[in-house]
Amino acid sequence: MSEVKQRWRLVFARDEEARYLSHLDAVRLWERAFRRGEIPVATSEGFTPRSRLIFAAPLQLGMLAEHELADLFLAERLTAPDLRDRLAAGMPRGYRVVDLHDVWVGAPAIAPQLAAADYRMTLLNVERTALESAAATLTAAERLPRERLKEGKSIPYDLRPLLLDIRAIPPDPKAAPPEAAAAMTSVWMRLRHTQDRGSGRAEEVVAALADEMGLVASPASGGVGGEAEADETRAEIVAPAARAVIEVIRPVRERLWLVNELDSEASSGGVVG
Amino acid sequence: MVAAARPRRQPDTPEVGTGSVEQFHAPAPLSSATVERVLGKVRKPGRYAGGEWNSVQKDWAATALKWCFAYPDLYEIGMSNLGLRILYEVLNDRSDRLAERCFSPDVDLADELRAAGVPLWSIETRRPLREFDVLGLSLGYELVCTNMLEMLDLGGIGLTTGERSESDPLVIAGGSIVLNPEPIAGFVDAVVLGEGEDVVIEISDELERLGWHRRIRVGGIGERTGEWRRGVDRATALRALARIPGVYVPSLYRARYLADGRFDRLEALDAAAPMTITGRIAADFETHVRGVRQLVPNIGIVFDRAQLEVMRGCTRGCRFCGAGMQSRPLRERAPDVAVDAAEAILRATGYEEIGLTSLSTADYTHVREVATELRRRRPQTLLSLPSTRVDAFTVELVDAIAPTGKRGGFTFAPEAGSQRLRDTINKGVSDEEIERCAQLAFDRGWSSIKLYFMIGLPGETMDDVLAIAAISRRVLQMGHRRHGGRAQVKVNLSTFVPKVMTPFQWDGQDSTLEIEAKVGALRQAMHGKGLTISWHDPTSSILEAALGRGDRRLGPVIRRAWQKGARLDAWDEHFDYPTWLAAFAEAGLEPAWYAQRDIPTDERLPWAHLGAGVSTAFLLRDRKRALAARATADCHWGPCANCGVPAATGFACQTGEDGPRTLLVSVGDEGRGWRYIGPPGDPRRPTTASSAGPNALSGSGADVDGDNVEAGRGERRDRPYDLPGSEMQSKDAGPDGLASPVEAAGDESTG
Repeated sequence: MSEVKQRWRLVFARDEEARYLSHLDAVRLWERAFRRGEIPVATSEGFTPRSRLIFAAPLQLGMLAEHELADLFLAERLTAPDLRDRLAAGMPRGYRVVDLHDVWVGAPAIAPQLAAADYRMTLLNVERTALESAAATLTAAERLPRERLKEGKSIPYDLRPLLLDIRAIPPDPKAAPPEAAAAMTSVWMRLRHTQDRGSGRAEEVVAALADEMGLVASPASGGVGGEAEADETRAEIVAPAARAVIEVIRPVRERLWLVNELDSEASSGGVVG
Repeated sequence: MVAAARPRRQPDTPEVGTGSVEQFHAPAPLSSATVERVLGKVRKPGRYAGGEWNSVQKDWAATALKWCFAYPDLYEIGMSNLGLRILYEVLNDRSDRLAERCFSPDVDLADELRAAGVPLWSIETRRPLREFDVLGLSLGYELVCTNMLEMLDLGGIGLTTGERSESDPLVIAGGSIVLNPEPIAGFVDAVVLGEGEDVVIEISDELERLGWHRRIRVGGIGERTGEWRRGVDRATALRALARIPGVYVPSLYRARYLADGRFDRLEALDAAAPMTITGRIAADFETHVRGVRQLVPNIGIVFDRAQLEVMRGCTRGCRFCGAGMQSRPLRERAPDVAVDAAEAILRATGYEEIGLTSLSTADYTHVREVATELRRRRPQTLLSLPSTRVDAFTVELVDAIAPTGKRGGFTFAPEAGSQRLRDTINKGVSDEEIERCAQLAFDRGWSSIKLYFMIGLPGETMDDVLAIAAISRRVLQMGHRRHGGRAQVKVNLSTFVPKVMTPFQWDGQDSTLEIEAKVGALRQAMHGKGLTISWHDPTSSILEAALGRGDRRLGPVIRRAWQKGARLDAWDEHFDYPTWLAAFAEAGLEPAWYAQRDIPTDERLPWAHLGAGVSTAFLLRDRKRALAARATADCHWGPCANCGVPAATGFACQTGEDGPRTLLVSVGDEGRGWRYIGPPGDPRRPTTASSAGPNALSGSGADVDGDNVEAGRGERRDRPYDLPGSEMQSKDAGPDGLASPVEAAGDESTG
């Protein structure tokens, strides 16, 4: 184990070419990027020392991202421009470091400070008005009982408290398929994302919207929701094929919010609708 | 089956109107929305998304000749292939050319592509395969041939040379199985025999000189419809390629058969067609490392590590081994070259592990000094190496580079159970040596030993088979004495497959009944705690042998099998032997005739016009020695066996002529410590050290991939990719091993 001399909070984005990575793939990719950039990363103790890079929240396979957070612990101090250069020298296409902040080494861990996450995705075969009314219904509901598959078992839970906000937005121009004849609109949502009080899943909200509209949600692009799970759910969804299928494309996690950031934004009257 | 219009329009290009700058073919890539909608429905979409470190995206409008390497197997296999990493760099080093990649789609993607009418695309810039000038197929295993058809079809390219239009790319195959390309001769425009590093450049130069990459608009209408033709017609291009040494153009020949079905002869149809073609040998292997900026995948693959080939060729002379016989002569990288290159590769990739690869790295003269120096320079980096040697040196070597903590299984490949049969196959190792090795491995902390054997070797009797049980039990007893109940012996059996251009190329496989009887008897003789036996269904081995020794009549069989749904045959879950049997039957052929027949040595072989350096006279001589259970010495240390390689290839062997050679450091001399000799001119270097190594060129055709990965593929299900796999990790690690001034790019001049 090497001594930690500095801690950086990285803000990064994930684009098209890196979107189909699992969390484990992503961890390995960053470690290799650090070696290529010759970044003096502090390492953990153990038989196989790992680089000390702590992600605030794993990003699902298939999900694009615009504002992810991770803490990077260094064994030597670097200046911000130097670190930025070294990161740029080693990062493959598909990952971009948007910003970085020098954080006090003893600051609290990042994951427990998470409060919420914003998502944006495009739904094919959905009319804007239908989506608006379905979103309104979800917002008005007291409870949204749903089931989540975990290790083969179905666990009932309430989605409603995890859904902080939802609305229909104009279609993402990048998401237009070439034969975009079918109806298309985009949805934006803010979901609770916490370590101890649960986190909402975007695909669960889409499924709830689909139920509301009398449609079926196909698994989102690239098997958002994890590969194994995507396989299981797909088999179930294909069966009632009579209903129209919502196709989800370009799912984006726009931003992760820490507790204090969300508080200050709320008090200043930010985007929260 | 893929319905998409062609040819495509010229899209917007950045250099329009610059006048003097020639604009090259630059069709529109598939839109990201199209790709996303297809990938949204498949497993492991990361296989097809690109964006890997060291992958190269070039501007199509500014590059002349465009290659796409089509690897006919899944991403995880193809990306592990060192040959692909090397040739990708060799071609992309030229700024005015480009090489992209494509791998076999898994069945889910193939079905989605067909359903959506989307053509198979290249990973880098997402262009349909048919838009390229050359499609380079890497064929390392017989059972990938249906994948090749699947890729051609999905890429919108005619399946056979006769069905290809003037605008289709040239389909050029290389790889270890193309030493007998006759079964696939109808599907490929040209075949590259031997090592590909130099010849891909020669092919590219020739095609550019002829204007194969040029698109000439056809008439005034062409301006509107986008119709075009190439700067040279296909037939002319193929005749030109046939003049390049090592390039075989099957369509310039016709095969004749006798009334009883045997092969008669091959007739040349064109004056440009040479009557014999010998595999290529890349120049300067000893001193020149290509493939430094190796592709680093974003998702996990089979060989997820950097690779440095430390040696090419093999002189052990195991008579069943295609790779060993076909890749002569032996060439070794100078130790300073190997160490510097390994470091450069690690820096260029960010990999945490490097494999020192060859057909048998324990035979690499400088293996210990290279491993030591690498460990000194980069203590954090894991090392691994494959070895086919069964001796104390291998155990000592692996012990020295393996972590001292937990130790899994140690693998040996005695290949045959009895001393007599091991002499027959020229795997010269005695029972005592095997036991000594096992004892040493048990003593050094391994509690599990894996033993690899082949069933159905020429001359095998039931006694030889039962000897496998006897030696395995003896090894297990040794393990019990050292480790008690923890000790394990795992026996892995594979079926012998006769390989072309080996002394056993004439020998048929046992019938399925014989194999099953032998394995059944062995199972009965081997039971008990700690002893496990694994064996694979031999039907895929029959197909390997049939395709491996096949002739041109198998082309329609392959196509029929693919039409009947055969895909990804190298994978257990997809392989369906009845499909193949039906395809053979429809053509009035039998796999057994190809696989199990003992071919008389005076019969003409369908692949006789192709060569890898080793002469038929030598193969016949060596086969006689095999029948007499006489060994042939390894010419690395022993006398020359006159295998014919120097005469066929023009490369001078440095082995065998100066008499026996010895290892620089023998086992036990210095325990685990051994000394790095230093680069030439280094004052630390003793003047007596064998600095003569890398000067004289020696060489021979390995597969075009130049990689042991492929060599192991024949036994994909049964073999680990690297025999005694090992890892090194040193505890007193520090980041101070990063001090080498070697540049990642090295001095990669090509051609």
